[in-house]
Amino acid sequence: MVTVESVPAVSCDRALAVAHADAVTVYDQLQRYRIEVELEPDGWHIAYHIREKRVAGGGPHYVIDATTGAIVSKKYYQ
Amino acid sequence: MESEAPTATELEAHPVVRAAFAAAWADSFPDDPALRHEEGGFVYYNPTNADVAVRRVLPGRKDELRLPAPPVLQNYYVVATFHTHPNPSSEGWIPDPSPEDREGAYETGVPWFVVTEFDVFVAGPERRVGGLNGPSGYPQ
Repeated sequence: MVTVESVPAVSCDRALAVAHADAVTVYDQLQRYRIEVELEPDGWHIAYHIREKRVAGGGPHYVIDATTGAIVSKKYYQ
Repeated sequence: MESEAPTATELEAHPVVRAAFAAAWADSFPDDPALRHEEGGFVYYNPTNADVAVRRVLPGRKDELRLPAPPVLQNYYVVATFHTHPNPSSEGWIPDPSPEDREGAYETGVPWFVVTEFDVFVAGPERRVGGLNGPSGYPQ
């Protein structure tokens, strides 16, 4: 049996752009973050993690609908 | 001389620590969106006389505070860190410890207290890992 994975209507780059457009309105200097992207059944999971160690804080985490590109959920960590 | 560090629960109830939490929270300007920023520092314990001391770090950003290398206090061990989360949940901010906070607490080997609009949260081990011996800063 061959499993064919469907290609999401919203590309990874497009989902990143949606997340980024929101993130810049809340957080400054986004170059502080390492970005982790995963495609899950409920959409693109995009998490911004602080690069530097031993720093208290956090970045935004998003779920972006892979069909519409809408933000399904967002969490602003601090 | 004690060999085990006080627990996070014991530290949170200590008047010196409570006062430090309150001062850090006030200094974070939680009610002023323009000045709001994270504050915090280190909690120390002297096993000889059971004294608890606090040292603050430089103010942080709106969403971040650097806690790299605790200053050395003679005869004291670092037993916890603390920092504020001054951004309100009404604006979508998460008050709980972030994934980075939790990771940092386990990596450094001491509890990390997070002072928020609702309560004080704690992340990481219940007490300083490895007891009161070895390096006086972070145990790992």
